[in-house]
Amino acid sequence: MARLGMVIDLRRCIGCNACTLACKQENGTPEDIHFARVVTREVGTYPATKRTFLPVLCNHCEDAPCAEACPSGATWIREDGIVMVDREKCIGCRACAVACPYMNRHFIARGLLENGYSADGLSPFEAVKFAEFEEGTMTKCTLCAHRIDAGLLPACVVTCPTEARIFGDWDDPSGKLQKLVDERGGWALLPECKTKPKVYYLDDQVGCSAQSEVPES
Amino acid sequence: MTPQSTAIAKHRFGFGYYPQRYWNWLIGSAFFLGGIGGATFLLSIITRFRPGMILGYLIVVMGKNTAHLLFLGRPERFWRAAMRPDRSWIARGIWATGLFAVSGLICLFPQGWAVPAAILMAAQVVAMISALFIMFYDGFVMNSSPAIAFWHTDMLPLLILMYASLGGTTISLTLRELFGVQDLATPVLSQAEHLLLVGNFLLLAGYMARMSRWTPAARETARLLLRGTYARVFLGLVIVVGLLATLLLSIVQNFADLPELVILIALCELTGDFTLVMVLLKSGLFSPQSAPSWK
Repeated sequence: MARLGMVIDLRRCIGCNACTLACKQENGTPEDIHFARVVTREVGTYPATKRTFLPVLCNHCEDAPCAEACPSGATWIREDGIVMVDREKCIGCRACAVACPYMNRHFIARGLLENGYSADGLSPFEAVKFAEFEEGTMTKCTLCAHRIDAGLLPACVVTCPTEARIFGDWDDPSGKLQKLVDERGGWALLPECKTKPKVYYLDDQVGCSAQSEVPES
Repeated sequence: MTPQSTAIAKHRFGFGYYPQRYWNWLIGSAFFLGGIGGATFLLSIITRFRPGMILGYLIVVMGKNTAHLLFLGRPERFWRAAMRPDRSWIARGIWATGLFAVSGLICLFPQGWAVPAAILMAAQVVAMISALFIMFYDGFVMNSSPAIAFWHTDMLPLLILMYASLGGTTISLTLRELFGVQDLATPVLSQAEHLLLVGNFLLLAGYMARMSRWTPAARETARLLLRGTYARVFLGLVIVVGLLATLLLSIVQNFADLPELVILIALCELTGDFTLVMVLLKSGLFSPQSAPSWK
């Protein structure tokens, strides 16, 4: 059984948001819904300032609080570890959104699918893509499960121009993910929430590897 | 280079605390109505005060449930919310509310109706247990979220239960005044109201003190409530109006015995109660997502 996940090398990330756009294009998400995004922070005092970047997406946690909170069973976890939402079962209570520390659950409000990015109604692209969503329900990153099932990599991974995103299987002992984390240390976001995320980060900062443990088999 | 101090993020691409915006005033109303309705019913069934039972039942079944349905994105699928009582407090709450709706209705049957004593007794027990559950389970719904540190504490269900008890006591006393009921239970409820007002004040003070020393996100919420955006609402409506003014007026009422004052006490207390639920929802913050090197 696989446990799919990702390692993101922050030393390589240039904050170009290509992943954000690739995800938008692949999934055709409605306005203001981003399954992938890059959190940007400015540090320093002018003129000695710089920007640092943190690409974020659903962490497909092993102990997913969104799945725990879901009262209807709409949130479920595939055998390969991808956290999914069954829109037919979702009642739109938003308990999963409140439970997710990473803010990667998105509510499709009433009327959101009626207009696309222009005020003139849906473009042909949006008309096709928006059919995948349902108003009044939750949606989220599926790690591009449809692409994985077709033997392809997630859109954000393929698009990243600096190859900062490395996709793989945590259960593969000789795989890239485990090797990278073993060699360079790795950490997950908000380890205090004890969600066992499957997205890890590398930035070679001293002591970072102590932040959290690699997901156990 | 020095990192910027952490503030509220203006959007999801920015760095900082993210305000909780998923649960709004409808959920707040449902939590508030569930608390006061369940407590009013429970206190009224214990003291055999039928108007209170009817009002408490209506507040829960009509008020709380309507607010929940209006909030849901797909209200026609509400029944699905009962599917996972093994892990979700919302699902457990749905079961409790359903049991309460049925058992509470049996308790409210006119006395002329020939309901077998065993069924009536069973219905009363189920109604009381489910009413108690409805009073506090919202606290566990909020507390089970690891994402919002200000809610993720064992003190929250207790706070919700205490406020529900206070609201129910206030409504019971108001109804007794309106219906002119002066039985043995009335002075007991009046004393209980005083104790709950003092107890809630101490509990709220303890809650804020604990949050002020907890995780950064919890500390930031405590700051927002005590000195920031929500300070006027929290200190003014929750503390001054909801607790201090209510306590003062209820002490005056013990000597003055004015019907108008009872209404004013109820308005003050319920305003504080509702405002507390709303500020708890509004001030909830998600922790910033950051690299260890950003800290």
